Amino acid sequence: MEKILRGRKVVGGKSKGVALVTTEPICFLGGVDVKTGMITEVGHPLKGKCMAGKVLVFPTGKGSTGGSYLIYEAVSNGVGPCAMINRSVEQVTAIGCIIAEVPMVDSVNPDAIEAIKDGDLVEVNADEGIITVTSA
Amino acid sequence: MMKLTVEEESMLAGKRGYPIQKSMEILVQLGEIYGAQKMIKISSVHMPGASVVVAGEAGTKFVEKMAGQQGQFCVLTTLNPGAVNFDAWRETGYSEETYRLQRRLTNAYEAMGGIACHTCTPYFIGSCPRRGEHIAWGESSAIAFANSVLGAFTNREGGPSALAAALTGCVPEYGYHLAENRHGHIQINVRAKLDGIDDFGAMGYWAGSLAGSKVPVFTGISDPSTDELKMLGAALASSGAVALFHVVGVTPEAPTCEAAFGGRKPEQVLDFEASQLADAKRSLNKQDGQEISVVCIGCPHTSIAEIGEIALGLKDKKVKSRVELWVLTALPMRALAERCGYTKIIEAAGGRFVIDTCPILSPMAELAKKKQYTALATNSAKLAHYAPGQWALPTYYGSLQTCLNAAITGKFDQ
Repeated sequence: MEKILRGRKVVGGKSKGVALVTTEPICFLGGVDVKTGMITEVGHPLKGKCMAGKVLVFPTGKGSTGGSYLIYEAVSNGVGPCAMINRSVEQVTAIGCIIAEVPMVDSVNPDAIEAIKDGDLVEVNADEGIITVTSA
Repeated sequence: MMKLTVEEESMLAGKRGYPIQKSMEILVQLGEIYGAQKMIKISSVHMPGASVVVAGEAGTKFVEKMAGQQGQFCVLTTLNPGAVNFDAWRETGYSEETYRLQRRLTNAYEAMGGIACHTCTPYFIGSCPRRGEHIAWGESSAIAFANSVLGAFTNREGGPSALAAALTGCVPEYGYHLAENRHGHIQINVRAKLDGIDDFGAMGYWAGSLAGSKVPVFTGISDPSTDELKMLGAALASSGAVALFHVVGVTPEAPTCEAAFGGRKPEQVLDFEASQLADAKRSLNKQDGQEISVVCIGCPHTSIAEIGEIALGLKDKKVKSRVELWVLTALPMRALAERCGYTKIIEAAGGRFVIDTCPILSPMAELAKKKQYTALATNSAKLAHYAPGQWALPTYYGSLQTCLNAAITGKFDQ
């Protein structure tokens, strides 16, 4: 089954990957291993999951302002997400996506965290703000 | 669309070289995401991404490219902690590889005019913006302090946007640069009795996860110390993305509760009772057993007042032989500690001053493995939040006195 969601372009570009979804904010310092792409924050619902090549769907960023370069480093190491979707993008994550050139969309209707499930195939056309979801 | 001045347009068009052009591109893109109308001038930058743990090889090359193409900072630019203590990295246990990469990154920032103070508390050592001053700061704890305690205006700058601001002297005008966005959202009535930075840290940790990126307003706090406010902000910015808080009757934009909320009604009113304080402290103690191998004080970096307290607590005492006690601070603060006689007492007890870096921004997981650390104790809610993910170490959380006792006995006892 395919559904279309519409959101706001934060950083342009197009990408496609399997969704990794969480209801909890993410901090890219201490919360993510940028050499492997694994989520490491103790107590985080995604702990032990890998973001490499995924469409990472989360409400917003939190914590350290080091996060921008860490997104860039993860992408440079080949273990970054292929796209990101937020409810409301926070500045540190936005800047990371700008320099790492990761397509990013926010303010999605209907709510991306509700509409997208882990493992769904997600096509992100950030230029147009269009997200196409194929259920797993 | 943003309205740029003729000068800003020419910067964007590359007429003043690559570093300024690339910087303008980043700032314009950011401004468009957040609906800014124009750029505003800023008077200082505090640079996050000053550690290679954050910048990595990719970020270091990015900064080096800016420096290599004759980028020059046009405002006062202080650097956040790096990944090693330059004066004694080998003794502390950091690898030569980390030291070399950090040297490259620091050199690149210095070539552009950055002040290599490598501290998260620039406001203690010479960059102390006044109320209403527009600045572009990174480092989540310093942002919270500058916005809330000093009343300066900054958004949460990440490394690349802070670099862009330092090179151009401007940022897009949105968010906390606009007075109307600085009012409170959530009211927190503090009923618990707070004593010491560990209590303020625990409360901040609790409130940060509820506030997310909103502005919390605290009532019922009287006469907090600068260090307690420093820790409150650091904790709020760890469990959440809080960049601004108000304390009624204490911080400059909150002479009254009405002023803090700008005449609006709070979205939510919560009480912080003694039971919540106890719960918050328990959630920061992610440990089993009680043997500890390293005690860290100074996240954010210690003030001279805190170093004085540590010296008082360690007078005629000895840190247990297999335990390390780290006092993290800025270079000028250590010089002052020496003048005051604190350094002699702390070092005679077996404590170690660590400057230029911090446990969160240095490769501590690697160090912990190499030195076979088994558990960490700290009075910082921020460090207690990050350490389990960053160091993969069991972490104890308690007051300064509890932490010093742990260093002396090798055991953590509440």
